[in-house]
Amino acid sequence: MSERVAIIGIGATQFRSITPDVSYKELMFEAAVKAYEDAGINPRKDVDTFVTCAEDYIEGTSIFDEYVPDQLGAVLKPMHTIPGEGLHGIATAFLQIKTGRFGIAVVEAHSKASNLMTPDGIAACAQDPVYTRPLRLNSHFIAGLEMNRFCHATGITRDQCGRVVIKNRGNALNNPLAGRAALVSLGDFCSCEPVSCPLTELDIAHPVDGAVVVVLASEAKARALSKNPVWITGVGWCNGSPNLEARDWVAVNYCTRAAEMAFRMAGITAPRNELDFAEIDDTYSYKELQHLSALRFCGPSEAGHWVESGVTTTTGEFPVNPSGGALGMGHMYEATGLARLYCAVEQLRGTAGKAQLKKASRCLVQGWRGVPTASTAVAILST
Amino acid sequence: MSLRERVNQPKDTRPWYGELPVESLYTVGIAGEKFLRTLKEKGQFLGTKCDRCRQVYVPPKIYCERCLAKLDDWVKVGSCGTLESWTMVHVGLDGQKLKKPELVALVKLDGASTCIVHKLAGIPVEELHIGMRVCAVLKPKTKREGAITDILHFKPADR
Repeated sequence: MSERVAIIGIGATQFRSITPDVSYKELMFEAAVKAYEDAGINPRKDVDTFVTCAEDYIEGTSIFDEYVPDQLGAVLKPMHTIPGEGLHGIATAFLQIKTGRFGIAVVEAHSKASNLMTPDGIAACAQDPVYTRPLRLNSHFIAGLEMNRFCHATGITRDQCGRVVIKNRGNALNNPLAGRAALVSLGDFCSCEPVSCPLTELDIAHPVDGAVVVVLASEAKARALSKNPVWITGVGWCNGSPNLEARDWVAVNYCTRAAEMAFRMAGITAPRNELDFAEIDDTYSYKELQHLSALRFCGPSEAGHWVESGVTTTTGEFPVNPSGGALGMGHMYEATGLARLYCAVEQLRGTAGKAQLKKASRCLVQGWRGVPTASTAVAILST
Repeated sequence: MSLRERVNQPKDTRPWYGELPVESLYTVGIAGEKFLRTLKEKGQFLGTKCDRCRQVYVPPKIYCERCLAKLDDWVKVGSCGTLESWTMVHVGLDGQKLKKPELVALVKLDGASTCIVHKLAGIPVEELHIGMRVCAVLKPKTKREGAITDILHFKPADR
């Protein structure tokens, strides 16, 4: 159980609002071939185990794990699908390699969001069927309630949430994969459509299509195959109370627990000083600020001042979502956290192009499964 | 590029339409049965109490989600409480803009540790504030069916 685990290959498609020319299988195939080329491996010969992350309802089929082996080169190989965030998949593959029984593992997650005819209906089906669903509410209401409560309790302002959107969509201008890059100003919030006050259209990471594949390897395999392995030094995951009624609506304590698990594994005691940047969940603007404090980078009200004073910009003291986050790249359902990881690996390798940070040797990546969940996963990466 | 060829004309792309027909029954369970039956017949809110964790669960559970103890200490909680948060929802289940936006409240009933999520009415948005007192408005007894929708909405306590 002592061997270290590295990321030796990454592959992704472009992230676009529609992809009518390719099926989800072809999106996955494209990302997979890129990842295998990047790692210098033959999937049919070299990969020992495959993990994919997907939800049946979002895919539009039952028993979706039956639909993934062929396009990944996983037929007649150990593989399974988990209905979790892509980073849950990373944690699972990490543990499989740690057993010593698997040398190379592949993790995949994707989104073919443009095929969903009733995305809001599917999201509503995740609400409690007895106590919440009978109210017949669009699931964004949960984010609206949480944003209002969070801002009230922390003193974080509407403008500070807006600055997260401005930063992340602006960062995405330097990311060629990003599907939602834009120049946004605070003035735009005055005229945009309200969704669930105080939440507006601009505060939401809107869906895109795309796929991400990541190749993980044991230390021995990584040393033999890769010149620039990125080490996974810690993973953590945690679920809070699934009940809207019983959960804490200000502090996302499940996120803190997941981070603490990952920090412990990585031997990190002062996250803000020991890490160079973070790629974290920003499914809604305020979530980046809420997650920043839950991940122990700053105090609950401090996150607002950070984004206001530029601490979290690409040239700031602690860059957050230099990739553009989900607000700038687009939301990819279970692949959202995996997209954060993809961009973090590019930074650590020094291949992030115009988005490259000056200092990038150690970082945190976090994913959240969206409303109504209290489910998160975290990974610590290092050169 | 792993895909050697691409479809080059929008007219050549073709989706196939399908649907997932799914219907379910959702068993409300031991705790849900007692809670919803009491709401229907007496117009009262019941919770279950965990003394060790100092929690009163409303809606109730037969176990404590903190210590997993079996809960059978049933307590009556108030039908009024504190507004913990609110939101005005502008989009419907189909993602389309609602003609009439809906107010939604997160309410901690007096004596409960947890919150009820429900609709809110009878107050202009400008007068809403977190921490204000609100009360549940129930359907008339003859119209109640033993469902969370037996609550019509919450309204300000002073109106």
